[in-house]
Amino acid sequence: MFINYEHENHVYNVTIERKENFFFVTYNNTEYKVEAEELKPGQLKFKVGDRVVKSIITEGDKEKYVFVDGAVFKVKPVELTGFKKKKKKEMGDLSSPISGKVVSIKVKNGDSVKKGAVLLVIEAMKMEYLIRAPYSGKIKKINFKENEQIEIGQVTLEMSKKGG
Amino acid sequence: MEWINIFQKILIANRGEIAVRIIKACQEMGIKTVAIYSEVDSDAPHVQIADETVNLGDPTPIESYLNIPKIIKIARDVGAEAIHPGYGFLAENPDFAKSCNDINIKFIGPSPEVISLMGDKIAAKTKMENADVPVIPGYHGENQDNKSLIDEGKKIGFPLLVKAAAGGGGKGMRIVYSQDLLEQSIESAKRESKSAFGNDTVFLEKYINKPRHIEFQILADEYGNTIHLFERECSVQRRHQKIIEETPSPIITPELRKKMGDAAVAAAKAVGYTNAGTVEFMVDGNLNFYFMEMNTRLQVEHPITEMTTGVDLAKWQLKIASGEKLTIKQRDLSQRGHAIECRIYAEDPSNGFLPSVGKLSKVEVSTGPNIRNDTGIYSGMEVTSYYDPMLAKLITYAENRADNIKKMIWALSHYIVLGVTTNISFLKEVLNHREFKKGNITTHFIDNYFKDWTIAKNGLPIDAIIALAVYDSIHSRSEEIVRYKEADPHSPWKHLGRWRVGGEEVI
Repeated sequence: MFINYEHENHVYNVTIERKENFFFVTYNNTEYKVEAEELKPGQLKFKVGDRVVKSIITEGDKEKYVFVDGAVFKVKPVELTGFKKKKKKEMGDLSSPISGKVVSIKVKNGDSVKKGAVLLVIEAMKMEYLIRAPYSGKIKKINFKENEQIEIGQVTLEMSKKGG
Repeated sequence: MEWINIFQKILIANRGEIAVRIIKACQEMGIKTVAIYSEVDSDAPHVQIADETVNLGDPTPIESYLNIPKIIKIARDVGAEAIHPGYGFLAENPDFAKSCNDINIKFIGPSPEVISLMGDKIAAKTKMENADVPVIPGYHGENQDNKSLIDEGKKIGFPLLVKAAAGGGGKGMRIVYSQDLLEQSIESAKRESKSAFGNDTVFLEKYINKPRHIEFQILADEYGNTIHLFERECSVQRRHQKIIEETPSPIITPELRKKMGDAAVAAAKAVGYTNAGTVEFMVDGNLNFYFMEMNTRLQVEHPITEMTTGVDLAKWQLKIASGEKLTIKQRDLSQRGHAIECRIYAEDPSNGFLPSVGKLSKVEVSTGPNIRNDTGIYSGMEVTSYYDPMLAKLITYAENRADNIKKMIWALSHYIVLGVTTNISFLKEVLNHREFKKGNITTHFIDNYFKDWTIAKNGLPIDAIIALAVYDSIHSRSEEIVRYKEADPHSPWKHLGRWRVGGEEVI
């Protein structure tokens, strides 16, 4: 499962998998094997490496508060749909919601595509993510080649709106 | 021991942690309590623990905790014998004390006359000078021509401060280091004051180098017995408000302590002070001390005195007000160990200490040996902008200052307040500062070392990221997992339902 957290204008792209009694958390190309339990609602105790960490998490209306090691952090889940929409309006482009590898490009420059058509496949943590055309139009520029690394927020390709 | 004449029932004209503190003292002593509260405080801890409660309605201070006629009427209706004003609000309002006296309800504090006198800074200073209590040498007279002011300035000595009588915020203020600069400084202070306040009257005062704010706790009964309970070092302040207090002070010697203590008792006796009070002194870099003012109430920072002397000040307030004699003698008192108080504020230290409001999603205070929590907050409580942003006080006690700083840092590191921004991380940084550890603190400490302080923007530590991910993994339902694409009906994840981990399938 992919999760994006925003803290102080920085987006943290995290992946977590649960296998039996362990959580595998991947952040910044490092995987952490975590043994965790929720002692009380919002109160976590987890073991990572040889460290035991206690943390308390509460949810506000829009944000989460994390207390860990004597400090409090306020984070927001990233609303990527809103994020993308804003960018589309401004520049008419498409950005990647995750960091991963471009495994397949289904279109080439100049192609006309219909709204909803698959344009690009990005793989991250053994999962695939499809970039679909948000509207019908023409492909103007593809910014990546197959097997290239793509980071969250990077623009995958540019396309013009039909008739626009 | 039983107190035969102690009150049966009192009203507490306050809210928050101090109301809780007083109600608990009353409960220990078998006194019934009446809490008053405004609409926004209906679930507040002081309301929950009191025997009787009365709603004041409108939460604006002037309509609630500052409304003298309303509070007096309630006190009469419920049959309270006395009113404890706490601190802030009506605690130092002579009209309130007098209104209580007028209907035969005991005001727990000194007489209205004493409150009035101490509220007038100039009259109080004159009174203290006459009682041989050292005051900051200065000139507050009416002769405002340059020659008179220069003559007065020479008498005071240098450096000195030229202050606008109507001043504030450093406007119309000049530090003068030598005589030849005095005239031009007086003139420019006058000009600035005239344009800022429309009044060019100036005061002259000796400039205090490396000023410390050190105060002495006083207890006085109604039979002329007056004692002091040593000092509290309150130099660490922001915007003239204390944030960390400690006792004993790291600079006070036994000789100085005795001299200042005697002066504090003399100050209290000079005005016929009764009940608990505090004499504030300014101490300069050469350990000269000067009377600043007297606070005619129980102070916010009273717990550190209680920790180091073993004397319960709130209970003594009640005993003295009910006519008990002060049975503690000065010679019986001693300081033991070291106590610190940190004030936990709902404010943002990296944004000019602006108050923050919101719902406290989690409150869990740290507990342990010699840790005291005076709080008026709970998980789920709404912090509003109606009242002071102080949420709670954390007090620690240890054998010595060095150990106690460590204990306080530990306690702050385990103190959980989520939902609003607090000053907890700031307090920790102050306690960790090398100059604080050395005891080199003055009232300029925060300005000198933390002026443009912001929380280190090191981003989220990995432990916070792991905690969040684990939390979200445990709590997510399929709906939430696809959260970031849910507005898109064409999302492949909508069709998939749940994320597949390690699957080969490609759509």
